[in-house]
Amino acid sequence: MIRRLPASGRVALVVVALLWLVAAVSPLFAGRAAEIRLDERLQAPSRLHPFGTDDLGRDLAARVVVATPISLAIGLVAAAVSLVVGFGIGGAAGYFGGVTDLLLSRLVEVVLCFPVLFLLLALAAFLPPSPATVVLAIGLTTWPSDARYARAEILKAKSLDYARAAKAAGAGPLRILLRHLLPNALAPLLVSAAFGVSWAILAEAALSFLGVGLPPPAASWGGILSSAPAYIEEAWWLALFPGLALFATVSAYNLLAESLRRATTEAGGK
Amino acid sequence: MVGAAGRLRDSGERALIRFLVRRIALAIPTLFGIVVVVFLLMHLAPGSPASAIGGAESGRRVSAAARAEMRRLYGLDRPLPERFVQWLGRVARFDLGESFVDRRPVSERIREALPATLALNGLALLLTLALAIPIGVAAGGRPEGPFDRTSAVMLFALYSTPVFWAALLLQTLLSVKLGWLPLYGVSSDAAPEGLAGLTDRLAHLALPVTCLTYGSLAFVARLVRSGVAEARSQDFVTAALARGLSRRQALWRHAFRNALLPVVTLLGLLLPGLLSGSVIVERIFAWPGLGRLYFDSILSRDYPVVLGLSLIGGVVTLAATLAADIAAAFVDPRLRESA
Repeated sequence: MIRRLPASGRVALVVVALLWLVAAVSPLFAGRAAEIRLDERLQAPSRLHPFGTDDLGRDLAARVVVATPISLAIGLVAAAVSLVVGFGIGGAAGYFGGVTDLLLSRLVEVVLCFPVLFLLLALAAFLPPSPATVVLAIGLTTWPSDARYARAEILKAKSLDYARAAKAAGAGPLRILLRHLLPNALAPLLVSAAFGVSWAILAEAALSFLGVGLPPPAASWGGILSSAPAYIEEAWWLALFPGLALFATVSAYNLLAESLRRATTEAGGK
Repeated sequence: MVGAAGRLRDSGERALIRFLVRRIALAIPTLFGIVVVVFLLMHLAPGSPASAIGGAESGRRVSAAARAEMRRLYGLDRPLPERFVQWLGRVARFDLGESFVDRRPVSERIREALPATLALNGLALLLTLALAIPIGVAAGGRPEGPFDRTSAVMLFALYSTPVFWAALLLQTLLSVKLGWLPLYGVSSDAAPEGLAGLTDRLAHLALPVTCLTYGSLAFVARLVRSGVAEARSQDFVTAALARGLSRRQALWRHAFRNALLPVVTLLGLLLPGLLSGSVIVERIFAWPGLGRLYFDSILSRDYPVVLGLSLIGGVVTLAATLAADIAAAFVDPRLRESA
């Protein structure tokens, strides 16, 4: 799989690996990120504070590093929730067809009709604030795109010989889905997952930026960015660096997804 | 009507009517689903039966008056199916209740915020199409050419840029550092009259419209590009070139027209994306539209407004996708067969 990736995809893979490496070593910076020094508040980037300091005099670079595992993990888990729900519903719609497909496709359509952020905000704000709420809110609002994708893939795969052979041999629908169709839909699943992670990271950042994401003191990149508007006229670094980390992460995952898609469609032989 | 041509047109019309009936029939359960989802959303709200039965307040403080209001408005002491029927009846009469904040009808508050959002999103949509279509056609006209490659990288970067970050950077650069554009608001406090007033308003629109545009721009341009790139290699484009049409004419008249269809059908789905963007953009730029109304209502737990806006957002999107599908079917007979 990796061998078939174009160069851009390998670069993306390296960036993602580096980000997780930063996440792994981030506990080392926890003390520095939490250290409040009011006499050093809102300092511009310098050798001592490469990203400057925030409104409480905390080192912004350390805070961005410490936020890395939070943003990455929430993105991963929320994307997993979305993927499980989406592939479950989309897979069932594609496999069973008929009335099941008709009803499940309506469900997908219903959720797609709402502005994502409307639903996200309502779920995140009305349920008790916790990481689980954020993950659930993102997973429950973004699954329709996974479902559409899964439905199309299963529809394509189910008419292929191996699936029909399994059915002829007497395998039940669940067995066919899990043992035969799912492994063959692994590549599209990965593509969907990579796009899903970038989406979920963005969604979490948006929620935290708007102040209904993770409860403090846990701060993701979006959470750090939420203090930037108040100091927009004096501290540009508050907006630049956490956003840069977010942008790098989201582009890396998007690029990975894009190259995976290209690798799999080209391998699929056109 | 007699004759082969007449019969052919008849069957075409019948296919169109069949398609319309089927498409509209499919929209009815979706509409019902939207109403159900909003009804369920209402039950997440503190003070709802769920938390009243458990006795828990789910960690949020809600005044007794607000809770009594919720109970009265939604008849929360009734059994669930009965409440749902009541809710359906109210929705059918366009009765969205009263805002908890100022006791005014929800529909009135929405109507007040609508023009600001329409101006913002309308301009963003126009700008999106005006930029995305030429970029997409130029890129798709020569796949893997220099323009295609550079535009792909740039569109990809735009696609991956969080809108609130873009907004903050643009504010920092264009408002704070350069002082070219106002930081936020709809107009200056002492807004001048006439032409100067208009420029003042346009200056205030520039940043929020840019922020709303770039994401959908990337999305639509990529869509147009792949459509044009695919159509370009097909026989009708080759035939057009062979007939002596210029490359430009072949691309725009033939390749682009075929790429336009997916764009038309997706226009309806751009709407929820724009509304989502509006929440963030209107908050950052203090824009008094629907997005800000929604967010403020979330924060102040003004449930009737939240539910009313969600319902309207869902229904309008459904109507827009329906209209887009129907428009596409009128333009392209092939769609009538497939759907």
